[in-house]
Amino acid sequence: MATYVYSSSPHIKSPNTTRRIMIDVCIALLPACIAGCVLMGVSNAAYSMLGLLSFMQLAICCVSAVAAEFVFLLCCKKSFKTILHEFDFTSLVTGLLIGMNLYPTSKWYVGVLASVFAIIIVKMLFGGTGKNIVNPAIAGRIFAFIAFGAAFGGAMGFVNPSNGSAVSILSPISKGSVTAGATPLQILMGAEGESTLTNLDLFLGTGVAGTIGETCKLALVAGGIYLVVRGVLNFRWPLVYIATTGIVAVIIAWIEGVNSLETVNGVMIGIKFEEAIGAFLPSILSGGLILGAIFMATDYVTTPNTKLGNYIYFVCLGILTAVLRKAVKGEVVSFVILLMNLLVPLFDLYIRRKPFGYVKPKKEKVKAQKEGK
Amino acid sequence: MKTFPGGFHVPDNKELTASASIEQMPLVAEYFVSLSQHIGRPAEPVVAAGDVVIEGQLIAKASSFVSANIHSPVCGEIVGVVKRRNAQGATVDYIHIKPNGKQDKATLKPLVDPTPAEIIERVAEAGIVGMGGAGFPTAVKLQPQDPVDTLIINAAECEPYLNCDNRLMIERAEEFIQGVRLIAKAINVSNVYIGLEANKMEAYDTLTALDGVVGDRTKEDLASKKDGDIVVVLLKKKYPQGAEKTIIKACVNRKVPVGALPAAVGCIVDNVGTAYAVYDAVVNGRPLYKRLMTVSGRGINTPKNIEVNIGTPLSAIVEFCDNLTDGTVKLVSGGPMMGFTLQNLDVATTKTDSGLLALTDKEASTVLPTPCINCGKCASVCPMKLMPMYIDFYATCGDTENAVKYGAANCFECGTCAYVCPAKRPIVQSVRLTKMKMKEKK
Repeated sequence: MATYVYSSSPHIKSPNTTRRIMIDVCIALLPACIAGCVLMGVSNAAYSMLGLLSFMQLAICCVSAVAAEFVFLLCCKKSFKTILHEFDFTSLVTGLLIGMNLYPTSKWYVGVLASVFAIIIVKMLFGGTGKNIVNPAIAGRIFAFIAFGAAFGGAMGFVNPSNGSAVSILSPISKGSVTAGATPLQILMGAEGESTLTNLDLFLGTGVAGTIGETCKLALVAGGIYLVVRGVLNFRWPLVYIATTGIVAVIIAWIEGVNSLETVNGVMIGIKFEEAIGAFLPSILSGGLILGAIFMATDYVTTPNTKLGNYIYFVCLGILTAVLRKAVKGEVVSFVILLMNLLVPLFDLYIRRKPFGYVKPKKEKVKAQKEGK
Repeated sequence: MKTFPGGFHVPDNKELTASASIEQMPLVAEYFVSLSQHIGRPAEPVVAAGDVVIEGQLIAKASSFVSANIHSPVCGEIVGVVKRRNAQGATVDYIHIKPNGKQDKATLKPLVDPTPAEIIERVAEAGIVGMGGAGFPTAVKLQPQDPVDTLIINAAECEPYLNCDNRLMIERAEEFIQGVRLIAKAINVSNVYIGLEANKMEAYDTLTALDGVVGDRTKEDLASKKDGDIVVVLLKKKYPQGAEKTIIKACVNRKVPVGALPAAVGCIVDNVGTAYAVYDAVVNGRPLYKRLMTVSGRGINTPKNIEVNIGTPLSAIVEFCDNLTDGTVKLVSGGPMMGFTLQNLDVATTKTDSGLLALTDKEASTVLPTPCINCGKCASVCPMKLMPMYIDFYATCGDTENAVKYGAANCFECGTCAYVCPAKRPIVQSVRLTKMKMKEKK
């Protein structure tokens, strides 16, 4: 007689798998990758090489991240076949995200080392998929930022290539970069000068130089909407993060305007609240905020597990981002996400759901129980 | 449309048998009637090997307050009491009966206009238990410790594939409603709700066409309600809509406290099949030895809704439904979300079997678990608002204490969490493991 599979209920399962979720994330990242490469190349005819370089960066990161995972697992004596069978695309997502967080002009080995660091140190050594305590891609970006400075091209983010005549493709920083026009974010952060960029430029990524992935916000948002439609992402959390950042930025600009009546400086710093509101759009459209909010802060593994916890988590992220942008004037979003990632276990320890029909134990009972013990 | 917080829309696959009328299962060569088909002590046999019994004759009687009578489904000879495995895999006592082909029938005296006490007595006499799956003796349920003001008939049938309640409401609507009224009379309540999932519109239309039954689809329908009318509540199609606590929340918006019975909030919940059995026992005097069952799944050649004698071996039922296809990988007794897998067809039906499913490789998930990615989907669908990811995590680590802290004891094992889990974590298994370890500790 035939034998049948014997197992615990439920006997039917949704077709959704980890692998499918990760493939969805990869698909959602694609528009931003393509837009990044195209915009980098198109923004300046003289430097169309930038587009190709962007593509190379992405490819290098993806390949090295996936390779790092395979090598690590092979070292753990897993057979190649098993690894291939269990491959869940998380390392590809990490590689893609790290690539998106690099500049087209970053040295090639930066991407390789950042990916290897993210996969091996941050993910695999902590136990692999689902066990990492911080988002590997964020850790990879910060690793590149801290360890490689110039080769990473950190300051390059604020260079406008559309009129950066002195930008050298090979190593823009070491030869001394030229800041031709201040970006709105820089002005928000307190730099002198006037921006040549409009909010629409920021949103579409035209004439903006940043990391490959954060250039075109439109593409990022499109990817985010895809994830929401696919049920992978809860639209609430990126919105909470982004909105909080914008609102806090407005409040800061307003307070500052009130406090510095004499130094009316640039567009943003005014006395009136109406003018301070102008800080909203540039602050949410600039830098890596949208990329971070949609794809990195919302990483399942490193977010709290309760609704209340998530609200607090994302509001904290927003406040910290806006405040630190004012104070640090540099790389902020990734550090904020890293910091909050590390606090997630505390959220889950102290914020726990009450079961359906939970009845608060009466005080005397609790006392009696404690005394009994 | 009313519903409860949490839950998940599970594809229901009901189309396989939704329009299949109830068929009578013919007699088979032998019957194995289990002595523990209910929650509580097993019944005590009152017949011995060699005795000749007739259909409907008492063959085992309730051994305590929480227990139930058992009646012979056929005329025949008692072969003896044998030990066999039941659907859950435990070895229990069965009375083995060989039919002799006679058509005699033992019925109880039909009751005309019975008093509440008479109804309860008859329910106990007829051996009626909750037919939704748990098998709690109905007579005990109808004598609650707390005052009750509401009767809810659970007609959600939220388990995918199953259609027996649905067909019963369509084909035997009047009898079913009479049964509902009898239960309401027995517990002396006038608020009666029938909770129906929105995928059973045919049943909804059939029921609301009857006198004294109103639906809640539109406000006008509901406004026409007179005192004593039964209200059919349309519920959103969502699993697990038919769990006791969720259907109470959806129908009357009351929350059953953790660890309490529905009677604590003044409600009694009974199943469609139970209501019909009460009607049969009171009006026709027929004890409970037959039930409706859905035989479905893509592994069975002709999915059917059948009325089957208790104690029929599943192998005979499968034969009646034109056998299994080659692609069958899993046999399930009950629904696919909470049922039990069967190792073979050497099991006999009981009063609580609502379905027999033969699932093919495509339907039954046999994917191996991967690591949890903490997506939180399990928590968002949990009708009990637990945090299943931690229960699974701690249970896997062997940390029972922490697994309990995250609510393992409050779980009723509906399986929604394990259904949605993208990592295919065996969460329900973890919960069961934790519950077992808790029992061991005590």
